[in-house]
Amino acid sequence: MRVYQVPTHTRLWLVITIIACSLPQLVRGPAWQAGLLGLVLLIRALGDRQRMRMPGRWLRGLMMVSVVALTWFSFGRIYGPEAGVALLVSLFSLKYLEVVRQRDAYVVIVLGYFVCATALLFDRGPGLFAYVLLCMMLLTTCLVGINHSDTGARSWGHLRRGAVMSLQAIPVMLVLFVLVPRVAPLWNMRIDSGQARTGMSDSMAPGEISELSRSSELAFRVSFDGPAPPGAERYWRGLTLSHFDGRTWQQAMPRGMDRKDYLYQAGDKEPDWYRALMTAERGEGYRYQVIMEPTQRQWLFAMKVPVLEQGDAGLARDMRLVANDPVADSIGYTVTSYPDLVRAVPLSEEERSLMLSLPDRDVGRRARGLAQQWRLDADNPGQVVNQALRYFRQQPFYYTLRPPPLPVDPIDEFLFVSRRGFCEHYASSFTFMMRAAGIPARVVVGYQGGEPNALGSHLLIRQYDAHAWSEVWLDGQGWVRVDPTAAVAPDRIEDGLRAALSGSEYDLESLAALQSFANSGLMGRLRQWGDYVDFQWQNWVLGYNSQSQMQLLRQMLGSASPLRIALALLAGITLLLGLYMLVLLRQDRGYRQNPMEREFWRLHQRVSRLQGQPLDAGVTPGQLAERISERWPRASQAASQWALQYQQALYNPSVTTDRVRLRHLRRLRNRLYKLLD
Amino acid sequence: MRLPAPIQKRYQRWLARRLPRAPVVVLNQRRIFIFPTGYGFFYLGVACLLFVGGINYENNLILSLSFLLASLFLVAILHTYRNLSGLGLRNGDSESGYAGESGSLGVTLFSEHRDHHCIWLKWEGQSGQQISVLTGTESTLWLNLALPRRGRVLAPRLKVESMFPLGLLRTWSYVSLEHFCLAWPSPQASRDCPAEGGAETVQLVSSGKPGNEEFRGLRAYVAGDSLRRIDWKGYARGIGLNTKLFEEPAGGRLWLNWDALEGVGTEQRLSILCYWVLMLDQQQQPYGLKLPGMTLAPDTGDSHRLRALDALAAYPEFG
Repeated sequence: MRVYQVPTHTRLWLVITIIACSLPQLVRGPAWQAGLLGLVLLIRALGDRQRMRMPGRWLRGLMMVSVVALTWFSFGRIYGPEAGVALLVSLFSLKYLEVVRQRDAYVVIVLGYFVCATALLFDRGPGLFAYVLLCMMLLTTCLVGINHSDTGARSWGHLRRGAVMSLQAIPVMLVLFVLVPRVAPLWNMRIDSGQARTGMSDSMAPGEISELSRSSELAFRVSFDGPAPPGAERYWRGLTLSHFDGRTWQQAMPRGMDRKDYLYQAGDKEPDWYRALMTAERGEGYRYQVIMEPTQRQWLFAMKVPVLEQGDAGLARDMRLVANDPVADSIGYTVTSYPDLVRAVPLSEEERSLMLSLPDRDVGRRARGLAQQWRLDADNPGQVVNQALRYFRQQPFYYTLRPPPLPVDPIDEFLFVSRRGFCEHYASSFTFMMRAAGIPARVVVGYQGGEPNALGSHLLIRQYDAHAWSEVWLDGQGWVRVDPTAAVAPDRIEDGLRAALSGSEYDLESLAALQSFANSGLMGRLRQWGDYVDFQWQNWVLGYNSQSQMQLLRQMLGSASPLRIALALLAGITLLLGLYMLVLLRQDRGYRQNPMEREFWRLHQRVSRLQGQPLDAGVTPGQLAERISERWPRASQAASQWALQYQQALYNPSVTTDRVRLRHLRRLRNRLYKLLD
Repeated sequence: MRLPAPIQKRYQRWLARRLPRAPVVVLNQRRIFIFPTGYGFFYLGVACLLFVGGINYENNLILSLSFLLASLFLVAILHTYRNLSGLGLRNGDSESGYAGESGSLGVTLFSEHRDHHCIWLKWEGQSGQQISVLTGTESTLWLNLALPRRGRVLAPRLKVESMFPLGLLRTWSYVSLEHFCLAWPSPQASRDCPAEGGAETVQLVSSGKPGNEEFRGLRAYVAGDSLRRIDWKGYARGIGLNTKLFEEPAGGRLWLNWDALEGVGTEQRLSILCYWVLMLDQQQQPYGLKLPGMTLAPDTGDSHRLRALDALAAYPEFG
């Protein structure tokens, strides 16, 4: 048997492919990996040119050991996603050192597939995926190259063939992607993709939300099925905070209440409040889809009162959605929010006492006095609320990202001394005063507003849209949202943070970072386009799970039975492959005439048609001319001239049949046609 | 993989029926088989692994990568098939040889519609040769063929195989060309010349002295004349290529005769005749050959020798 060698015309492609496939990891991983790849390529280049001996088994073993050691050094371990991928990419580089035969090249190519796949573990953007498709094309090119054993083969031919095959494979891949049923994970391999970023924490102390507001990172995106509510109505609730220790607001469950009673998850026994909610009159609702960035927390964002349509989450008694697991990857869910449902939520005694609880007497002495005064002056709780808002409006309160610190008493110092604060200060002190006045109240944190993408499909909610507000319990109306910030800075609610702060010189510095996100000029438009693509990508590609698949298949196929899916798969693939077959084997049909033959058969067919009876297929040009002169005597001269020229072109070795000669013949034939009619 | 004998036999019969012998064969879907190679199965395994990975990590992109691998495999089926489909094969020349040695058969590959890359041709069970055929061209490949016995050796089934372009699939076809190689009898030395036409023949040959013929004149060279009889001196003088003519030998015409070897087995007779044909040719002695049903007039020269050997090889069916 002959030993297959990797042909020289493929080496360059192998090198390019190895660099391209490793690149995402080289950019992300430790620097020594790039050094290793460079070293391997150098040794290989020198070895191929006979400038040095290729390293033997011992040296390669030594390199292998040092790679493992370096991985240990960089990651502290050699397993786990990060370290594992680093090791894989290093192996991929090292393997190139010992590529001699075709089989080695196959191993390199297979490792390349895995390297491409692992790149997708850490980044799922459309850009990286397109890049990985490019790498796959290069890998295919290498496969073509190592199987092309002609020594004289041209390198560009491999690329062309690889590209053609990859492009033909992509539609088939799409069919498979849409139709192959998604299976539930066989075992749990969730990885922390390191995407825990800025985001809301489960408590609120002064200054925490204003800290968040300095970030313009994406929190989540929303696309409405129908019309979107106006900006001032878009309050995305995340958490309710009902325990106040004098400085920090925290999540709390009413004393004596069971978790099962507080949080309803699909499959559990339905608590009373949930049953009441589901049977109540719903009224108009907004249906929308949320695609959330990873937060590593369990709570989800939705408007009041959310009813989950698609996705996995439970509903808590305080009208918010809770995911089953912390959100480690971007996830999507569909919700319909019914604002009117809020009346159906009851307030139990345990809840009422929690919502009225206040910290020790030391905090907010003056505020308590003021609130109790208002309560005495008012006829009903609603008037107290209005009185408090009026107080914020009329006193010189300022809305600012950089409030002064409130070291001693966050409530009184804010309300009566500094009077400069961010939404959390307003929400906190307002809720405090309401409780002091005997009205059940709680702080809600979440996001407010959202900036529409110029392409119109969805809203973007960024970290700087983070917000805190209050909810008070009014008999007959249920939990009513009150936003004290709106009393101080109506712009914040209507037009967002940037508009609200743009007048204040004090905040200009903090704003500078956010200004870059203004949608102005070319960059703004490009960013909007990028975001649009990203959103659709999240929505259609990353968020395409078994639920949305079943929904789509039901729409497309009528019902999503296994038989129908199998038939659709078969039909789709057969159709595509049949189409390719037609194109690829197109030239197989029949014999292709050369231009001279075509010239003859055109006249032959024309004469047959005109005389109404088929001519013998074996006639010579001379016989054809005779036939014409018998039938059309006035064409006899033109016919014999044509026959003469034709025969000369065909048989006279001194006459070349070039394009000029063919054109001459065609002209003669056309003149002949005119005489035939 | 060897199948049990009855199945093997049935399979061979089926192949023979499906792929009958023909002088020209153009490969089409009736004749082409296709199956994944070992590497192809390995590749599908990798696709499955990525699929499981994509499912477990709930990563749609890794999942689509596995779908891309599967799709490439499907597309590769078409391309691999296409590389063989439309390839034409026909008889080329053949080179005869002595029985027990090997001859070779020329197979001409032609292509009208497309390039065919990296095609392997081999007789079943032997190592092959590789060739690429470009559109509109012809290439001839000589394939050695063992000649186990005298006579016409029909070309065995030729395996035409290709794994281009991805090496994931092997596509092959069996071609039975209506093509044969003549195996001359292997010469068997014998003391007595089975000849008639002069008692002195034997002595003449054993003395090994040519030239009992009289030079008669020159005539223009005709293809097939023995190179040893060309008037090279005259050629050097520039009077063109001429062949020297000699008088008939004094002892009359020399006939190698089948009947002179009575009592000897057929193959052995032919081997002895073959030996003497070679012997006399070496001596530049004109000789004729008489076989039952066939007579070759006395002459000398390379083409005469080949004719004589071919006649011996073809006995008893002279075509």
